[in-house]
Amino acid sequence: MADVSVIGQGTTIRGRISGAVDLDIAGHVDGEINVDGEVTVDRDGLVSANIEARIVIVRGAVKGDIIAQELVALEAGARVVGDLKAPRVSIAHGALVRGQVQAGGGVSSGKLISRPAARPAARPAHVEAPRVERTAARPELKAPAPRVVPSVLATRTNGSHSSATPEKKGPPPLVVPVLKKVKGAIAKRR
Amino acid sequence: MAGTVIGSGITIEGEISTDDDLVIQGSVRGKVIGKESVTIEQGASVEADVSGSTLTVQGSVTGNINAADRVDLQTGARVIGNVRAARFTIADGAQFKGNVDMDV
Repeated sequence: MADVSVIGQGTTIRGRISGAVDLDIAGHVDGEINVDGEVTVDRDGLVSANIEARIVIVRGAVKGDIIAQELVALEAGARVVGDLKAPRVSIAHGALVRGQVQAGGGVSSGKLISRPAARPAARPAHVEAPRVERTAARPELKAPAPRVVPSVLATRTNGSHSSATPEKKGPPPLVVPVLKKVKGAIAKRR
Repeated sequence: MAGTVIGSGITIEGEISTDDDLVIQGSVRGKVIGKESVTIEQGASVEADVSGSTLTVQGSVTGNINAADRVDLQTGARVIGNVRAARFTIADGAQFKGNVDMDV
């Protein structure tokens, strides 16, 4: 209890925060955060700083790189512009990221990591987490997964690993008739 | 629990400005700008000019203190710097070195 620091909603800190405590940020921080503990950026939190900590949990906005010794967790509502680096990275549905993601145990598994990381780098739009999480968190399940999972899910997992082509082949027959109907409907109305 | 708490074991180098109540247990170097109550607890170390409405000091402050309402130095406080406030108390056992300006 005594070791938890709270940056309240009406508080702005400009400068460097360091120490060995947990940090709960609901206000603004501008500068640098280097803490040996858990950093939580709340829904109202606005951080414009590089964050280094053991665990980083984000529900608010962060502009800066996040490096964690254990875990980076972006929860729904998180907005992050910057790179993520941690042994475990989770990005929840509804979290937005723009930047490089490096999940896994550092240099040795760098080849595995490069795939999911390439996506947000190449296409700096809003990246939704579940895909990154699947590829990053369960590399060992690649082989058994398609056998167990029903066909729809199997194509999805394949698509996320290789390219997006299997996904595109699936939907078009569904989409085209819908578009024709719509066009027809519009023409008739006019 | 509204407000801001700078816990023990944390160091802030820079400026803290807040509309909330502020409690400092750790160490701060730079500037502290509060609008409400600012409490510097025992064990805290503040090397900064501190402003606020109501200031309560139990820890160590090096810097000028400027309060809109009042400043209370409690037992165990150690303050080096000038104090400017409408009301100012120094408890028995508090250490203080500096000028006092009480808007006489």
